[in-house]
Amino acid sequence: MSEVKPQSFLPAGGRETRPRRSLFCKYFATLFVAAVVPLLLGAVVEASFGYRDQRRQISEVLRVEARSAADRIEAFTDGLRDQLGWTVQFPWGQDDDGRHKMDAQRLLQQVPAIASVSLLDETGSERVFVSRLRLNRMSRGIDMSADPAVIGARANKVWYGPLEYQHDSEPYMRIAVAGNLPAAGFAVAEVNLKLIWDVIAAIRIGKTGYAIVVDDSGHLIAHPDISMVLRGRAGSADFGRIKHLLGSTSGGAVLTTFRGSPIVALSVQAADVGWTVIAMQPVTEAFASIRAALWRSAVLIVLGVLIALALAYWRAHRMSGPITQLEEGVERIGSGQFDHRIKLSSGDELEQLAVRFNEMASELTISQQKSARIDRLKQFLAPQVAELVEHSDGLLEGQRREIVAVFGDLRGFTAFSTRAGPDVIMAVLREYYEAVGAVTTRHEATLTKFAGDGFMLLVNAPVACQKPANQAVQLAIDLQAAVQSIAGRWCAAGHALGFGIGIAMGPATVGTVGYEGRLDYTAVGSVVNLASRLCSLAKDAQILADSIVAESVADSIPLVSLGEQRIKGYDGTLEIFAVAHRNSPAASTGAGPGEGKVATQDA
Amino acid sequence: MRRRDFIRLAGGAVAWPLVAQAQEARKVFRILWVSTATEPDPFLDGFREGLRATGYVEGKNVIFETCCSPGNPQALREFISELRRGDADLVVSSGPATRAMTAVTEVPVLFALSGDPVALGVVKSLAQPGTNFTGATFLSLELAGKRVELLKDIYPKVRKLAVLSNTDHPGEPSEWRATMQACNGLGIDPVYIPFFGARELDSALRTAAGVVADAMLVFPDAVTMVHRASIAALALAHRLPSMFGWCEYCEAGGLLSYGANQRATYYWLASYADRILRGEDPATLPVMRPEKFELAINLKTARRLGVQLDTSSILFRANKVIA
Repeated sequence: MSEVKPQSFLPAGGRETRPRRSLFCKYFATLFVAAVVPLLLGAVVEASFGYRDQRRQISEVLRVEARSAADRIEAFTDGLRDQLGWTVQFPWGQDDDGRHKMDAQRLLQQVPAIASVSLLDETGSERVFVSRLRLNRMSRGIDMSADPAVIGARANKVWYGPLEYQHDSEPYMRIAVAGNLPAAGFAVAEVNLKLIWDVIAAIRIGKTGYAIVVDDSGHLIAHPDISMVLRGRAGSADFGRIKHLLGSTSGGAVLTTFRGSPIVALSVQAADVGWTVIAMQPVTEAFASIRAALWRSAVLIVLGVLIALALAYWRAHRMSGPITQLEEGVERIGSGQFDHRIKLSSGDELEQLAVRFNEMASELTISQQKSARIDRLKQFLAPQVAELVEHSDGLLEGQRREIVAVFGDLRGFTAFSTRAGPDVIMAVLREYYEAVGAVTTRHEATLTKFAGDGFMLLVNAPVACQKPANQAVQLAIDLQAAVQSIAGRWCAAGHALGFGIGIAMGPATVGTVGYEGRLDYTAVGSVVNLASRLCSLAKDAQILADSIVAESVADSIPLVSLGEQRIKGYDGTLEIFAVAHRNSPAASTGAGPGEGKVATQDA
Repeated sequence: MRRRDFIRLAGGAVAWPLVAQAQEARKVFRILWVSTATEPDPFLDGFREGLRATGYVEGKNVIFETCCSPGNPQALREFISELRRGDADLVVSSGPATRAMTAVTEVPVLFALSGDPVALGVVKSLAQPGTNFTGATFLSLELAGKRVELLKDIYPKVRKLAVLSNTDHPGEPSEWRATMQACNGLGIDPVYIPFFGARELDSALRTAAGVVADAMLVFPDAVTMVHRASIAALALAHRLPSMFGWCEYCEAGGLLSYGANQRATYYWLASYADRILRGEDPATLPVMRPEKFELAINLKTARRLGVQLDTSSILFRANKVIA
């Protein structure tokens, strides 16, 4: 097929005009996104739910711890109250001071937090004062009835005093208890609140969380780091602020910053004394598990992304690779390499597609061969005839049928060819055959052969037509007109050349003859010889026809009978007709034998 | 890989920088122990115990250097005047040695003082020291009167009280004043036997022996602490019920003692040492005051003195009874 002109089904330079977003990128992006987006969504959703749960859990833990601390502090103050209650069981007698002093000393012995205690009789005057630090006092009779402690205890049985810092450092408070019997008087104790440290220090929330106690005005009462408390009012500012923050958020866990580091905190009231217990935990620890979960998710996401990348790359590659192969194959097939085969073994639709392409390529090979044959047919058939012949089986097969043979050749060509140079001869012949070819094609006749200045045309074979005789005569007239118009120019150039045509109609055997690679379509029969003879007889510008033709066209084209003539190879005489048209010379029978070069085939 | 292992791995990855930091922070601290006591010093032992409990290992991340000058604070002064930053990360001074430390401004100083640190001028207030000093005060001043009262509780016959006092002790005059007031209130006649430092102790003891007193009160300080056994023996020899400040005296043969537990305070002081070594500013660490006081009684001494403990209410009030 090397002679086949390369044809391109694709625009030239297809590789340069690749689509901007290749299939690989699209597949890669789609697969990647399809894998990563659910992963991310899942992680985000899990993280948010985890965070919510964790927050709720932290809140719960803090509440429990704060409540427990508050309970323990209440137990601490309740213990103080109860212990003090023991000292105000009995009414004051005349000489009871010694016994009461013993009670007070026992109280100090039992309750380390009590720094001193005053026992007052029912009038509110001090009868016994026992202290760990100061000197004990007996029966001093100091009137304390106006003391808020006494007033408070008288009103409510028990009275808790405000927080006071001794030396602006040590937290103290006073507790007063009234006896059940009015005559039992009152006990007023001074309590060193540093001892609550034991309660508060025992509370550990997680590893670093802790609880603190502040009073109503935000002053620190207890802190696991006792030095915080000992800073007195100056050290309480931060805690007061936290208490304020927590107070405004209905006791829920909030995130707040304490000395630059965020904490989660929750406050609970210790009802008796009106203190606030704040449980707090650094955010870093409180959210350690969720942070670990986030890390886990992050690691999983990274893994997932990597897997998605690899998978997407692999899949996209598996998709685009065969497609590129297909594209390349199609391009090569398109560029005429019909023997190219696309080799794909992906086992899917793409392989199917490749098989289809290969089938198409072989179809194209066949089609190409067919097209080549048609081209060859066109050498002796009109193009449309050739197409018809190619696509209608058996049309070229040998058969006997009624045909019209048309012969034509130039007059005076032999003399001209001996005189003229080869280039002139070839120029004349080219012009001549161009004219003949054009007319032949127009009339859908079949040019079976040509040699030198002579040619043979068939009408009604291999393709049948309605009125072969009419068509042949009309063809001859047009041929005559076409050739005569150029013959005029030849004459002007000094070359005396004429043109004659012979037409005969009759049965003949038609078909292809020749050998593989060189086949001709031809007709065999006396009608061919007759047409050749008639051509030989025809003078310049004359169209001679036999009686059958004349009869056939009589109703449309008038033919002039030239009388009976003897024709070589035929017994007897045959009546010859000439087409009478405006260019034809006077119809005469005196035409000598022409210089027909067409080899007639003797039947 | 199992899920737990995986979590541990991930967690380890997260925690790695912290571990690295912790390892980096590990350095050897030098602590200078400045004292006028002799070795073995029970207070130093208490402090060491506290540091061990805080996680320090001697020789590994902490080194102790003791600078003891029994009864000679002057020698300490000379030594301390040469002390510069870098020589030690922390100075711990006990008792009168603190007075020698006042010139130190570059190195954090932890003190355990029976007197008033504000009066001594090493801190601005108990709540906010505001200097390179912080530590603990033992409330000796406040307890001075209480000791007289307790002595009278156990030995109501006391009329004349010999008061042995080292005048080389911060806050000593106030302590004596408080004691005098208490004695006046309780109808006791105090006999003041002052001495200056360890050198004068022997003569003071001789004086005390010469005073016809019913009982003896000894102000707690480093010098009397060092010589507690001989003081207690002297009191016993003269059939004097004796009152001391700390239970160590009682353990050494004294009849009574009332005061904060020294060893516990030094143990606790170690936590401040740890905080200061970790970089906290001593200026913001409040001075601690003890909230628990021990009443110790030596039953053996009581028996030998013929003190009737059954009739007094003192026994049930005692925190420590030495049999």
